[in-house]
Amino acid sequence: MNSDRLFTRFAIGINAAWLTLFALVPIILILIVSFLKPDPNFFVLMHFSPRSYLTLINPIYLKVFARSLLLALITAGCCLCIGYPFAFILAQLKTRFKPLLLLLVIIPFWTSSLLRSYAMVILLEAHGILNSFLLRWHIISQPLHLLYTNTAVLIGLVYCLLPFMILPLYANIEKLDLRLIEAARDLGASHLQAFGKVIIPLTLPGIISGTVLVLLPAMTLFYIPDLLGGAKSLLLGNLIQMQFLYTGNWPQGSAVSIALTVLMSLLLLLYLRLIPKAQRSQPL
Amino acid sequence: MMNRASKTVYIMMIYGFLYLPILVLCIYSFNNASYSSLWHGFTMKWYAVLLQDNDLLRVVIHSLTISTIAATTAVILGTLAAVALYRYHFKGKQIFLGSIFVLIILPDIVMGIALLILYHALHIPLGFWTLLIAHITFCLPFVIITVLARMSDFDENIFEAARDLGASEAIMFLRIIVPMLLPAIIASWLLSFTLSMDDVIISFFVSGPSYQILPLYIYSLVRLGIKPEINALCTIMFAVTLVLVTCSQILFKKKL
Amino acid sequence: MKKSICHLPLKLLHNAVIARSATTKQSRKKFLDSAVKPRNDGSRLLRCARNDGLIKFLILFLFSFLFIPISVQAANVVNVYNWSGYIPEKVLQLFTKQTGITVNYSTFDSNQELYAKLKASPNAGYDVIVPSANFVTKMRDQHMLQPLDKSKIPNLKNLNPWLMNRSFDPHNRYSIPYLWGTTAIIINTKYYPHVDITSWQQLWNKKFRDQLLLLNSAREVFAVALKSLGYSLNDTNPQHLRQAYQKLIKLLPNIKLFNGEASQTIFMDEDAMIGIILNGDAYLAQQQNPNLRYIFPREGVNIWIDNIAIPKNAPHLKNAYRFINFLLQPKIAKMIALDMHYSSPNLAAIRLMPKNIRDNHILYPTKAELKHSEFQRDVGAANHLYQHYWALLKING
Repeated sequence: MNSDRLFTRFAIGINAAWLTLFALVPIILILIVSFLKPDPNFFVLMHFSPRSYLTLINPIYLKVFARSLLLALITAGCCLCIGYPFAFILAQLKTRFKPLLLLLVIIPFWTSSLLRSYAMVILLEAHGILNSFLLRWHIISQPLHLLYTNTAVLIGLVYCLLPFMILPLYANIEKLDLRLIEAARDLGASHLQAFGKVIIPLTLPGIISGTVLVLLPAMTLFYIPDLLGGAKSLLLGNLIQMQFLYTGNWPQGSAVSIALTVLMSLLLLLYLRLIPKAQRSQPL
Repeated sequence: MMNRASKTVYIMMIYGFLYLPILVLCIYSFNNASYSSLWHGFTMKWYAVLLQDNDLLRVVIHSLTISTIAATTAVILGTLAAVALYRYHFKGKQIFLGSIFVLIILPDIVMGIALLILYHALHIPLGFWTLLIAHITFCLPFVIITVLARMSDFDENIFEAARDLGASEAIMFLRIIVPMLLPAIIASWLLSFTLSMDDVIISFFVSGPSYQILPLYIYSLVRLGIKPEINALCTIMFAVTLVLVTCSQILFKKKL
Repeated sequence: MKKSICHLPLKLLHNAVIARSATTKQSRKKFLDSAVKPRNDGSRLLRCARNDGLIKFLILFLFSFLFIPISVQAANVVNVYNWSGYIPEKVLQLFTKQTGITVNYSTFDSNQELYAKLKASPNAGYDVIVPSANFVTKMRDQHMLQPLDKSKIPNLKNLNPWLMNRSFDPHNRYSIPYLWGTTAIIINTKYYPHVDITSWQQLWNKKFRDQLLLLNSAREVFAVALKSLGYSLNDTNPQHLRQAYQKLIKLLPNIKLFNGEASQTIFMDEDAMIGIILNGDAYLAQQQNPNLRYIFPREGVNIWIDNIAIPKNAPHLKNAYRFINFLLQPKIAKMIALDMHYSSPNLAAIRLMPKNIRDNHILYPTKAELKHSEFQRDVGAANHLYQHYWALLKING
């Protein structure tokens, strides 16, 4: 039928056109720009030059990469340590309020992430809530100067990304058959052994999914280091933002973006390798 | 492993961590002091200040407009794409799927600058259109995937039945597939809307002077430092979120 | 943020949304049955089409937005691009009330941002911008500004001649001072009671480790190093700039953060104890926290002027002039200066101010305090070097 062909073509065509024009072409443009020379008056000169990539090997750029990766890893680690027991307890709960409790974890997703980062500023200030509390209870005698340090960035990242860790863990742990622990115990395993040898391997997909989910955004959320961090908290996201909006070195910014994308793709590939397809808790 | 009490305490602590900062902000929004974090008495004046702020009202309307149009467009395009991907075989299907996947894993910031370069290359002034296109583009893959996931649960027979009754593809799409997909469509619309309302990173690069939106307005407020107005704004937004969540809960529970 | 989270979370998010929104398996089956069962009854199938109206609505909706921007652009507006929080809301409202012209006010946080945005989209649609002096020269030289028609700004007569006709824009052909001020040292005497700061050089002192707040601006930060090396803060000699960069690298351990827009709150709340600050911010911070002191170092400070200008291709020229002339009214200029807490270039406005403000040395310093001080100027081609070293400095952080 002719009209069928028309409809099919329309459905595919409009989407293909959209994705090509607004996804494929821009990405190719980044690639092209990253190989051009910067123009001191912003934009690019139409000269091929691999300089932007060579600059990336410069130790000071590598330092930013290393710092971003490290901070992201620590964030993921903290989220895991805090989130795992939480997800575990939540998943094992037998109460009719369980959907509500889960919803409460998701609600922060729906609140402005900027305002939540701002809430952290209020919390960590020298005269902020945390310090007032600690001073009041004589835990400290001098206010802690947490704001504008990497610690503050870390706390902000953990705060904003914690739900991303809890949800995949929860989904994974909920499916866990608790009788396995009993079986392990019956076979003479200690609590710790049962946990380390049975539960951890079984929830590994959840752990890895959560880690990937926290790692990836942690490196590019430029507004968190911007609001909470100091002169020594420049992360990859801030670097890209700076190159584009302030320094005007578009090729350099593009090169950093591409390096970032490659780094993330590698992490994702690693993730796909780590979890065999059948075990993946949430397939695409 | 842990006893009941310590479990409860732990859970409460995490919820405290998640909600306490926001709640404290809400309380401070009623504090009668411009700068101090000490309690100076109850006031509603920051809300009055906020309501008199014409800029704020304008950016809220801008944001709602962009998010509604972007979510709706993305849902329409995305549903078409999902149906096409599910039902038809066509050349380049793998490339199509691949590009959706790429779009999802692509960091926001990279997408933002990619679009900025595109707009720049095409000499499109930054404003309403550039924002809208960006928002539709980053919502699209989410819609496609939600709807696609939903479609894989379908019974193939239903399409056969429709065919036998002489329905064309377009009729089938409008009268069978869409109604059946409605829950997924609503869910993806809500998700797109939320993502669009909260996007800072992409909008940061593709917005122009003629069309400021709420997240960027908040960003500039927040960067300016501690202002009781932000607390008030935060309280309002949090309350709106809670009301919406509660409404959707009640709505979905009653209906289904 | 939520988009870059790869394919897992959305599935999760959806599960969360769908799980609660979707039909249960059973009810879905029922729905399917009702759609499929009557194989021989076409009318039943069509009943599924009850959402037809919805779809038509959605399609209409999709095309309806084609018309929105037209109505947006047709309005009587003036597009102002200014520093964030650099004009009282009241002033904008008054202007709209008096003229009926809506002000689209958008903000930037650095001259670079303003410049980049205008350069990236010359037709961005701004009518009035507020660049600092050095950027006036730079943008003028790149033909990004429009010469001002003084006959349309009669209130120009109110301005302080000392701030007019400066080398960055001879005869004020392209720009008019909006607010001016100085950049100098601020210190919290509660934390450093016995420190007597008289020179930029003292910022390098090891006891200020991780304490300094510097402005988020290349020129302001390099001015500190250049002045302490004995050079001009408008120096363009590459050798000198290199020295300044190396000097700043040595300052890095002391630098806590670079922040321009919230510095007053940060000093007020004692999240940083010492640093450089704009005089207006210092004034405001000191009002709230009397421990703070504003110091003019003996090497001299940077005098900056932010200027009103009209970019090329401004779409609402007439409204732009009306807006500018409105800003120069003594009453309005007074309102702006008092609200922003910077120094007003408007002599008529200063006369209207209370005595304690007129006599305040932070806002209106004496000639002696400004000894060796310099007006910030454009550094031309050397700006590229400044930016290069500035980026390196920040990345090095």
